[in-house]
Amino acid sequence: MVKKYPVRVNVNGDDYEALVDPRKTLLQFLREDLDLTGTKEGCDEGDCGACSVILNNRVVSSCLVLAVEVDNAVIETIEGVKTGEELHPVQQAFVDSGAIQCGFCTPGMVITTKAMLQEMPNPSTKEVKEYLAGNLCRCTGYVKILDAVENAKEKLKNG
Amino acid sequence: METFEYIKPKSMDDAMNALNTYENAFLLAGGTDLLVGMKYNSIKPECIVDIKEIPRMNTFEFNDGWRFGALVTVRDIEVSDRLKQTMPFLNQTAKALGSIQIRNRATIGGNLSNASPCSNFGAMFLAMDAMLKIISKDGERQIALQDFFCGPNQTVLKKGEILTEIRVPEDAGKAEGIFLKHSAGKSNDLGLVNIAITLHREPGTNLCKKITIAMGAVAPTPIRAKKAEAVLNNNILTPDLIIRAAKKASNEATPISDFRASADYRRSLVATMVAKGINTLIKAS
Repeated sequence: MVKKYPVRVNVNGDDYEALVDPRKTLLQFLREDLDLTGTKEGCDEGDCGACSVILNNRVVSSCLVLAVEVDNAVIETIEGVKTGEELHPVQQAFVDSGAIQCGFCTPGMVITTKAMLQEMPNPSTKEVKEYLAGNLCRCTGYVKILDAVENAKEKLKNG
Repeated sequence: METFEYIKPKSMDDAMNALNTYENAFLLAGGTDLLVGMKYNSIKPECIVDIKEIPRMNTFEFNDGWRFGALVTVRDIEVSDRLKQTMPFLNQTAKALGSIQIRNRATIGGNLSNASPCSNFGAMFLAMDAMLKIISKDGERQIALQDFFCGPNQTVLKKGEILTEIRVPEDAGKAEGIFLKHSAGKSNDLGLVNIAITLHREPGTNLCKKITIAMGAVAPTPIRAKKAEAVLNNNILTPDLIIRAAKKASNEATPISDFRASADYRRSLVATMVAKGINTLIKAS
């Protein structure tokens, strides 16, 4: 019998209590225990950004965090980004700009863009490229993703 | 992956107890290297000691020289305005490390303790003559970073020891400095070669009072290019002299060939980057 550890965590505004296997990553915990499957597993070693979530206000790769580490933490995943049925301006910008091909990288792209615009509302193109450098799109649709970020910047400024 | 005990001590004493209770305990800080090692089964911990709640280890301050807690994240260094004003080369070193997702978790103590030959902070702190504070149940000891690395992923840390602080002498904060990383394209990949330089000049001149040059990814550990430094120390930094020193540095490098680059290419990069680093510092003023 594997020893499990209690974890209390707030995800997207909801409090959860769970007993977790210490080997479980935050990514596995979100997907398997909480059924929040919007966060994707890409490389599972911190290189691709598909599993990005916001942990205590910082964007991180959830595949490189153990679930036991997030006791008492506040986490935002892609499921928590929209308000009711209304998409978040960053999400709407990705739709409007056609910045989605297969869609696998999109949750990570949206989460990372949201984290970026919270930290700096008006990043330059260079700053955007640097901030998003850890989010890979294997469809290579980067131009439209950068368009979407520009679009999101404007939406948030005007909103 | 085999299962393991997970302990999150709230004090250094508790951490020591945990480290000494288990045969094969590993410290967890940012986890960006540890978890990858565990996933590949190259690290098989019996116990994980998560040290993130030990107080005072995630701050840095100036007090008769700089003191950096080992748990300061790379991102904290990157965005620090205080460091931008005093040692912008540290911000540079941080910014060149991995993706934002990694920098938000990875710690400077972890970057040193993991002892990758291409560790960014390994090279930069080596150039800054950093000292390390290491704590064990028997007390604390201080060693120079110069004596810390033994080989790839190997340090002098013994069982039951924790690297808790990085100290930088006051005069390192008065130097000019630069960190250069060359990697393929504009990717987040590890550096093919990293170069860290600090320079003290006679004010208003190009007379080099003291220069330090550290190199990463060109030897089993980050190393200093002492012969290149000797060429430059107490001399006017002329273009010819800089080229001579850059060649010396290149000869001091003992890189390997791997899928990222050949040894020859890395040696050639060392010369180019050392010269570029010094010239950038001179031209900046």
